[in-house]
Amino acid sequence: MYGDRFPTIFCPGCGIGQVLNYTLNAVDHVVQKDDVSPERFFFASGVGCSARLTSHYLRFDSIWSLHGRAPAVATGALLARPELKAIVFTGDGDVAAIGGNHFIHVCRRNLDMTLICMNNGLYGMTGGQSAPTTSRGIRSTTSPYGNVENAFDLCEMAITAGASYVARWTTAHPQQCIQAIEKGIRKKGTAFIEIMTQCPTHMKQEPAKMMKKFRSQAVRLPPEKERGPLDKDQFWVGEFVDKDQPEWLETYQKIIDRFQDKTQSA
Amino acid sequence: MRHALCAMPTNCEKAMRKLYVEEKYCKGCGICVEFCPAKVLKTSEKMNARGYFPPESKDMEKCKKCGLCSLLCPDFAIAVSD
Repeated sequence: MYGDRFPTIFCPGCGIGQVLNYTLNAVDHVVQKDDVSPERFFFASGVGCSARLTSHYLRFDSIWSLHGRAPAVATGALLARPELKAIVFTGDGDVAAIGGNHFIHVCRRNLDMTLICMNNGLYGMTGGQSAPTTSRGIRSTTSPYGNVENAFDLCEMAITAGASYVARWTTAHPQQCIQAIEKGIRKKGTAFIEIMTQCPTHMKQEPAKMMKKFRSQAVRLPPEKERGPLDKDQFWVGEFVDKDQPEWLETYQKIIDRFQDKTQSA
Repeated sequence: MRHALCAMPTNCEKAMRKLYVEEKYCKGCGICVEFCPAKVLKTSEKMNARGYFPPESKDMEKCKKCGLCSLLCPDFAIAVSD
């Protein structure tokens, strides 16, 4: 962390600072338990409030990249140096709206990276317009009578696209977030962790109240059979997918090794 | 306590006390005051340099040192140690 750049640029009570706090705790656990050098971590981010996290405050290798293309930039970094542990910070406007395709295809390729999506349900930096993840009926600056569109479920998308680890938590679940991010960093393959964050400035509510509301809205994921219908405002939280499947970089390295063996023996 | 990635390099020694609030980082959002399970933190009467009201620990005997305030703080302004 760069101590002289504090306090952070975010509004009072913004959930993005909390997500940074959780991520650093998770990274610290991985560094201490698995004896991984901090130099092996790599952070990428796109554009938006959430993108301010990487190069501004972190004393890690980090890049502040194109809007929505942070997964693509991280893919390039991983191809050049497969030993890196890539963590991508994205917002919902980043990953759901403009970078939707990049997100889908990173999940499909199953590259070894951790995607952390801070979903606040609107476009925070540009003034609180409704985003693809805004729930139906929520008022924003571009939908003053309530949003008429259906919300985008990013976790369902990640599951469908084939990510190895998919989880959703809110900022009101600190320990669960830390455990999920830790697991995601250790996981071979794409880990997608969606964290619902509060935007007190544009939702015009108190941050602590919003977090308590998250706690009441979030429903822990039961086993598959018992999953019932949800009320209008509720959403599932928990680990959706945790599976082992072939990872892209390892598969590619095997092909390289096979051909190098052939050329050496010939 | 996070040391390797500490946000408070200058005040790390002060943070070794039980509960330390770095007032100049605080933005007075009140999350720590609302979420403290033992109700140790109260909003201070004094304003900090930026015009926000930082929290202060009222009765430290009740503090369980769970560290939830330092985890939930969006601005890395609270440190708790054993």
